Amino acid sequence: MQGMNVSVTHVRGTSWLHRMSPIAKLSWLLAIMAFAFASYNPWPLFAIALAGIGMAATAGILKPILRILLVFAPVTASMIVIQAIAPAICQNTCTPATTLGPLTLYQEGISHGLSLSARVLSMEIIAIVALVTTNPSDLFSAFARLRVPYILNFMVSMTLQLIPVLTREVQIVLSAQRSRGMKSTGFGSVIPSFVPVFAGAFERVQQLSISLESRAFGSTGKKTSYRQIEFGTLDRIIAVAGLVVGLVGTVVGLVFWSAGQTPVIILPVWLTVTVFLIAAVMFVGVVIAALVAIARS
Amino acid sequence: MTETQNGLPGSPGAGPILSVRNARYVYPRGDVVALEEISVDVPVGQSLGIVGQNGSGKTTLTKLMNGLLRPTSGSVIVDDLDTARHPVQVLAAHVGYVFQNPNHQLFAPTVADELAFGPRNIGVPEAEIAERVAEATEFFRLGDILTLHPYRISFPLRKLVGIASIFTMRPKVFILDEPTTGQDHRTTNTINRLIHELVDRGSTVICVAHDMPLLADVSERLIVMWNARLIADGTPREVFADRAVMERTHLAPPQITQFSMQLPGREGRAPALSLDELVAEYRTPGRLAGKEA
Repeated sequence: MQGMNVSVTHVRGTSWLHRMSPIAKLSWLLAIMAFAFASYNPWPLFAIALAGIGMAATAGILKPILRILLVFAPVTASMIVIQAIAPAICQNTCTPATTLGPLTLYQEGISHGLSLSARVLSMEIIAIVALVTTNPSDLFSAFARLRVPYILNFMVSMTLQLIPVLTREVQIVLSAQRSRGMKSTGFGSVIPSFVPVFAGAFERVQQLSISLESRAFGSTGKKTSYRQIEFGTLDRIIAVAGLVVGLVGTVVGLVFWSAGQTPVIILPVWLTVTVFLIAAVMFVGVVIAALVAIARS
Repeated sequence: MTETQNGLPGSPGAGPILSVRNARYVYPRGDVVALEEISVDVPVGQSLGIVGQNGSGKTTLTKLMNGLLRPTSGSVIVDDLDTARHPVQVLAAHVGYVFQNPNHQLFAPTVADELAFGPRNIGVPEAEIAERVAEATEFFRLGDILTLHPYRISFPLRKLVGIASIFTMRPKVFILDEPTTGQDHRTTNTINRLIHELVDRGSTVICVAHDMPLLADVSERLIVMWNARLIADGTPREVFADRAVMERTHLAPPQITQFSMQLPGREGRAPALSLDELVAEYRTPGRLAGKEA
């Protein structure tokens, strides 16, 4: 009866990823984001995504990561579906790969869709792995050490810490409405749940701001932190390696795999159709499930 | 179950309406045993109080009772329905759960809509919904705020609206989670009166609370939870008099009860549960609380 927890929240653990300094993780995250933005070649990006899943498995967080990915999957799939049937990059000069009933699938579209989804997927997975294995307080300390302005740092940290609170709030509110016979799930439960959750969130934010002000939030001077993060030699090496890899990757991406230089990936027809259908099922399936839920509510 | 003329379930003493049998509950991650082999029968029309420290399993037990949680092993039968085999939405017509924080329940644009939400969900015809809303309005004295948004009324009133929104569903069992927490004296008295009236109408009321004076007043029976187990079951007078249970669970009987237990000359007598009771005991020799128990 417990709702599936899909929020991007810290999962406690003692794995190598949990023990790694948040600064080192941020360095690699930055590197992969830079590479993902620079490169249009989907294969290295898919490889990074796979590596991320492998890291999650070694850190014992594969299950929560896959759950979170399941939620993001329709968004990623939509890029392939939309680009395949209405590619933005070639418009009238696109090469038809095959037709599927009334739909024409274009080679450039599939190729571009794969590129976009690979970019999103690689950043998504690495970012989630980093967030899930890092205590929000440690992230706060890491940003402070990197001299991120205190107020900005506090906002990011507080947002991350409020996610599990709000997730729990949503579960309580849904329980309360189900206890009053509400049969709807999914979108059907939005209104009865939306109002209490958001009213509670606004109230909480208001109380939090008063509480912060009453405890001298915004005062000047050096801030200290209860939690201290370690940033040893190995962490420094990993962080620097991340920055170097990011820099090299960005240059390689821009020079060899930019939009104009990456060749169109031409898949066999059967593979084109398979990729499109898998993406369509993931994307349309969620839309249909939502519509059915609305109709039933 | 028989029903009284007003439509609420009735006839106290007709047998258990709620039966928890060897219920065990382990949270999905498998690392927290929230309930361990709990068995309890609640007869129709009984007012049952559940006490215990935070984390002792009180709320988990009540969530098993309305199907929000399903026992890992054992069974929970409510009004002849096995909670493991029926969705919460079906059980909601039989067991009403009033959450501790009314803000978790209320969302409709007006108090009247809020009162109609539950009955509408369980398929009550519109004409009868109007009748139920009118009855709840009178019962809870909500006439002046019926057209207001629930978030524009005071917190104590919101609490009453939360209870009223369950009342209109006319469940046979009411579960009240911390009904008086954060309430002023006046609202606490109102809730106290409401619980008595619900019981008088034949409803079964289960009340989870830390408010011992409230439970001493409204409960016929008290069960004590400790560390996921049910460790005491008796009348409030019996439970409060059990010093071992009170010490073990770090619970404190109402102050007047503690006072009566320490009064010279009352040794061996059952404790008083209220000031009125103690005063009456001293004003009318021979009508001592200890002789009644």
